[in-house]
Amino acid sequence: MIAGPPDGDAVVEWTMRRLMYEARAQLASPVRNPRMATVIGRLLGIAFLLCFGTGLYSHFLQQPLPWMTFPTRPAGLYQVTQGTHIVAGIACFPLLLAKLYVVFPQLFQYPPVRSFANLLERASIALFVGAALVEITIGLLNTYQWYPFPFPFKQVHFALAFVIIGSLLVHIGVKLPLIAAHWRATPSAGPEERHPIDTVADARTVDPAAVPAEAAGEGLPRTRGLTGRVLSYIDATPAVPARTSRRGFLATVTLAVAAVVGLTAGQTFAPLDAVNIFGPRKKGVGQQGVPVNRTSAQAKVATAALSPAWVLTVAVGGTELSFTRAELTALPQTDVDLPIACVEGWSQMASWRGVRLRDLVDAAGGSPDADLRLISLEQRGGFKQTEMGNEYVRDPLTLVALELNGETLDLEHGYPARMIAPGRPGVLQTKWLSRIEAIDA
Amino acid sequence: MTTPEMARPTGRMRAARLVLVAVGVLGLGLGAYVMFDTVALRRLPGVVLWLGAAIVLHDAVISPLVFALGVLTRRAGHRVAGSIIVTVQAAIVVGSLMTLIVLPAVVAQGLEPKNPTILPLDYALNLGLFWLTLAVASVAVSAWFYLRTRRANQRPSRTQS
Repeated sequence: MIAGPPDGDAVVEWTMRRLMYEARAQLASPVRNPRMATVIGRLLGIAFLLCFGTGLYSHFLQQPLPWMTFPTRPAGLYQVTQGTHIVAGIACFPLLLAKLYVVFPQLFQYPPVRSFANLLERASIALFVGAALVEITIGLLNTYQWYPFPFPFKQVHFALAFVIIGSLLVHIGVKLPLIAAHWRATPSAGPEERHPIDTVADARTVDPAAVPAEAAGEGLPRTRGLTGRVLSYIDATPAVPARTSRRGFLATVTLAVAAVVGLTAGQTFAPLDAVNIFGPRKKGVGQQGVPVNRTSAQAKVATAALSPAWVLTVAVGGTELSFTRAELTALPQTDVDLPIACVEGWSQMASWRGVRLRDLVDAAGGSPDADLRLISLEQRGGFKQTEMGNEYVRDPLTLVALELNGETLDLEHGYPARMIAPGRPGVLQTKWLSRIEAIDA
Repeated sequence: MTTPEMARPTGRMRAARLVLVAVGVLGLGLGAYVMFDTVALRRLPGVVLWLGAAIVLHDAVISPLVFALGVLTRRAGHRVAGSIIVTVQAAIVVGSLMTLIVLPAVVAQGLEPKNPTILPLDYALNLGLFWLTLAVASVAVSAWFYLRTRRANQRPSRTQS
């Protein structure tokens, strides 16, 4: 009896082993080696860390811990950090796909799990890959303001950031000896560096003892049927010389990063504006030459904002003061050039004219140390009420803006009055101001 | 792996690995905490579904397509130099990648953005022009490679006396 249960299991195991070996052999390429994984991995790691750092900065600007204060200079700081966040995120698309391309044959390791530690490592890699792909995808979709996913963007984007950085560190920890060995290019690659299938584990896959008798011919026998024909077809395909292949791969990755960054980053970095053909925003497109994030219709503020009864209430001292728009324009006016910089990565330089917030607070008898709460006419929305740290309140560039680019502030930009401060995200530059009050310490 | 120069597990290396893995596990824990703390429980299956779908989409769709692209371009170009094959592959890969990023913008544009300053460009047209540029550029680069190879072949070999 040959086909007893143990033999059946052995055949299944042998078939699996051979399929996995076959997959790795077919996928082997001069590009798929540990050195290339290190080279691309370093770039991807830098991009991830840039995204993480700038993302945390943006997060804490919007939800500061009680003890936090932030720099107000350079005035375009947030424009740069958040622009970098989006640019690095976009660059992750080619870099992450390139990294996955290089290491793809590792997916077909045999046996699938070698030990408990190996199981944990593979699970963490799966989580890493899934989280990274989802993170950059929902980030991209957020810049299009399109939310086809069944979960809230902000919270999941924030939580996955920690998952990614955590599994990145685990991954680096696990691979550290390999990374260290391939940190610098080896002058001449040893034969074992040709591709990742040349490993100890893989040597076992061609162990003749594991191969059933009818198949133990020269090398690996071809599978019959369709699979066999496909494999023969692939085998007969000519290979590109290794050097050309590697150079071509690096050139492709470079070109792809340059293209996705160069053709979108103009939405925030002015020198690239001329070649901004794929950015979700375009400089100068919008009322008074400035893009809009939340419209008056979305915020449902038109009636209240255009009402002649509108006043700005300033409650920072003992008594509340109210200013009509005419009274505000009668106060000393200051001109500043400050960018509107959005969390979604676009930014737009603009000229603002209005009353210095510092002067307004002082005139109303407010404490120079107070933080402020800014309340909009908006009835609902996460930013109808925001807080402003003292460092921004006292900054001479922070205005209650009444004019934009030489004209009366458009309704979409916050008429009758809006906040504009240096180095803050657009969502905190409260539009349609209604009330400014001191936060009791 | 058995790269010879890789061995020598020094004490510093061990310590560094330990710290990296430990901090990494802390980061993972923090991520899980933030996830459970801020995302409604009924939304979590959606997150898990997307994570799984992303892996399947990459491993079972994108990667095999890229592999097939490699085989088919090498097959189609078996008479031309490797550099020309790689040039064509690069153009296709860069174009596909850009399509992957820009196609959602085209779709989102079709869904009527909330205000006219979001997605104000003609992304479909620009994507078409981008592909056209890639095609022209790859033909030009291929021609340059072709001429260079032919000139090199026509030059009398120096090793022959």
